[in-house]
Amino acid sequence: MQSANTLLRKILRSSVLPFATQHRMRKDLFLFSRTLSLSLSLKQDKSCEPSEKLDLDAWKKVMKSGLQEEVSETVSEPKELSSLASAREILEMWRLAGRLVPENISEEQLKTFMECPSKSAKKKYLKYLHLKELYKKSRMDKKRERRLEAQDQASKTNETKKNSFIYLQSHMMDKTYNWRVAQSMIFGQPLVFDMSYEKEMSGQEITNTVRQLVMSEGCNRRSVDPFHIHFCNFKDDSLYHREFIKQYREAWGKLLITVTDQCYTEIFPKDKLIYLTADSPKVMKTFDHDKIYIVGSLVDKSIKTGVSLARAKRLQLETAALPLDKYLLWSTGAKNLTLDQMMHILLTLKDTADWKKALEFVPKRKYCGFVNKPDKPVKELKKTLDLMKTLKLGKGREDLQKQVAKNYSKKYKLK
Amino acid sequence: VQPPEKPLQAEEWNKLREDFQSPEKFEEVMLNSMIKCNSPIDVAKSLLTHLAKRDGDVAYNMLVKYLTLCVRQGQVSEIRDVYDIMKVRFKILESGAYNLLIRGLSNSDQWRMALTLLEEVKKIMIPSRTCYESCIKAANRHQEMKLAFELYDEMLAKDVVPTLAVLQSFFDFSRHMEDVELQKELFGILLYLRDNQIYPHRTFMRSIKLWFESIPGGNWKGYLTKIKDSGQCPVCNHQLEDSNLTEEEYSNLSERIINDVIHGTDTFRKTSPQEFEAFQTFVENRLPFDIVIDGLNVSHIKPRRMQCENLFDAVNCLAKENVRLLVLGRKHMLRNSSNWKTEVMKEMQTKADFFFAENISDDDAFLLYATLRSGKHCKFVTRDFLRDHKACLSDSVMRHLFRKWQLICHIKSKKTVFPLFFSEQPAFRYDCVVQTTGDTWHIPYKDVFEEKYSYRVPTKWLCIRQKL
Repeated sequence: MQSANTLLRKILRSSVLPFATQHRMRKDLFLFSRTLSLSLSLKQDKSCEPSEKLDLDAWKKVMKSGLQEEVSETVSEPKELSSLASAREILEMWRLAGRLVPENISEEQLKTFMECPSKSAKKKYLKYLHLKELYKKSRMDKKRERRLEAQDQASKTNETKKNSFIYLQSHMMDKTYNWRVAQSMIFGQPLVFDMSYEKEMSGQEITNTVRQLVMSEGCNRRSVDPFHIHFCNFKDDSLYHREFIKQYREAWGKLLITVTDQCYTEIFPKDKLIYLTADSPKVMKTFDHDKIYIVGSLVDKSIKTGVSLARAKRLQLETAALPLDKYLLWSTGAKNLTLDQMMHILLTLKDTADWKKALEFVPKRKYCGFVNKPDKPVKELKKTLDLMKTLKLGKGREDLQKQVAKNYSKKYKLK
Repeated sequence: VQPPEKPLQAEEWNKLREDFQSPEKFEEVMLNSMIKCNSPIDVAKSLLTHLAKRDGDVAYNMLVKYLTLCVRQGQVSEIRDVYDIMKVRFKILESGAYNLLIRGLSNSDQWRMALTLLEEVKKIMIPSRTCYESCIKAANRHQEMKLAFELYDEMLAKDVVPTLAVLQSFFDFSRHMEDVELQKELFGILLYLRDNQIYPHRTFMRSIKLWFESIPGGNWKGYLTKIKDSGQCPVCNHQLEDSNLTEEEYSNLSERIINDVIHGTDTFRKTSPQEFEAFQTFVENRLPFDIVIDGLNVSHIKPRRMQCENLFDAVNCLAKENVRLLVLGRKHMLRNSSNWKTEVMKEMQTKADFFFAENISDDDAFLLYATLRSGKHCKFVTRDFLRDHKACLSDSVMRHLFRKWQLICHIKSKKTVFPLFFSEQPAFRYDCVVQTTGDTWHIPYKDVFEEKYSYRVPTKWLCIRQKL
């Protein structure tokens, strides 16, 4: 009943009624009285009309009647809300409206959300959080399932656990890895990560960079003949540093790598340095065991052409790009690779000097296949590929594709 | 799914639901298709009733969908009922629901309620442009011009960009009014179009014309016309504003191009300081040039010909007496190759000045610099739209100036004519924006609502003048 009253009061307060009377709008008045009677009918029992005829407004009654207690609460509550709480409420409403919004959001995330400069930035951020939440959930579900399965099996076979053996093994592996990396720190070939791109990146990009660096370090540690990793131009208390501590926690202090705020030019002779960048006009032919390669720790989602090339130009260093076009039939995507892919490629090159093996680490979606005879010009083949790509969209592509295949299959083979 | 034509009983809904492949989404999909087919709201109501009786609740997104249907059909009393329910049920609503409510109510006699709703929205977020659009249109429709302009100003203050429809509605509903203040405001809108380089479309232009002609005692008359290449209006013989940049604009622009485009965050990205310095001294010693040619770009005009021949044709065509040419290229052009013959290059160098940049440097930046340094009369030749360089400029005013300057200085090549022919005419001598002299207005307009090419400027004009 109270709800009906507050409702009435609200309607009276709103300017509709005086306006309607002023303009003598009968229809409006009629409408108004209709809502009035509707609200009053709330107290009547719903089940009093068991008629066969469909009551189309029944849902309204249900919606209003279920709320009596809640309403009195909301009315008594103070209306003023902190900006954080109101942001939380807006989020809740978006979730109810079926938008991609995370179910749970932390205070920190909420603040980041509020700092987003535009509506689209907000939407993007929320979608990101939403997807993150979904992944986490599905991962947890799988984990739980696995655990349950394991329990089932354990109870069936009734075996005692033999985990201690496995633990010992992994511990030993760690020791061996560390031993190898320690050796590489004395005798190994240096590999430099240039950590001077903090200004070029957004917070998200820095997080991604550090993740990639962590993965690179991991795969280097596990390799047979690791590099001696240098993080150069590394400023203490920089965003990189903070991210690293977040990722590694206490292990950060125990890593077997060299971290320095010096530039690579101060540590190594200039003529030995080669800066690896996709923008370089020079293409790397072979992996040189006497050189020191530099990789820029930069994730540029909005492609910033020439940033790392500019750095190398300024320091007058030699530059090189991977011979991607020579060995691969590139299809889509930028030529810049992630840091861990670079690491895999360099490690493989170092061990085997086999370009084909090394370039297996380039993501498959980016190329169509390997070039069989890398010394022959691939221009022609490229043209056919482009043709095929355009044909994919058009009609009668099959015949044409066949024709293309007939013409070129003799000369070059796609793998 | 095809929504039913008549309201259904609960059992019938249940049966339909069971037949549906994924029953948990049934209601949502059904309501969506009702919106699509514009079903009668009674059908939607029966679905909601069925839902409410089954679950004792109707979810927020279902309410919003139902609201969409009501708004579409202008069911004002339903809109109000849904609003009442939502208001009691939820502390605040999200923007989608507010948009719908405001749109629905503003089209009815209860449009003032939309205004109160707008106030409510303002408390929690910046209202969307559609919210403002609905309210302003409603106010205009009810001849509350003052209120409409208040909302309009508020909208601009909040950096919400008004739609053309909003601007048009001001003209549509202000006809035959004698209010001087109002006229000033409407002239203000025309100046807004000028400042933001917005071109009205045909119907909008018509509204403007009709409004002008309806001003009591104004004696305005509008004509549709095309402006001559000389920039003269054929109707009133008025000379349109010159497209040249003012001295101040010009010096601002060249300063910003050097700062933002060439140096940017790092001079090494496009060139190197040594190279840039060398180029600067080279240019300063030979100033001023009349035409600057983007050598590499021009050399690719005809793909079947040798690149140096293409360039040779261009240089020959442009080289006349007392015309100082500068050709920008890269060092690799000097190396004898299948595309670049040393003899041809040598011969060209007698006719024009050449500057060869490093192979990894960006020659466009040099093109801009040399042209700007040479002064206003200097033109440049390239097919490049230089969009990436425009994007380097940090603010929109500069970007616009760049665009304007580009239109003047860009010599377009006519591809069809052989041998290569470069029209000496600048693209535009007059400035293609809304302009006034007090007793005349010239307004460029587009034929269609959305122009396909953003770099094309309209050719059709509305000429309005006052007969005294």
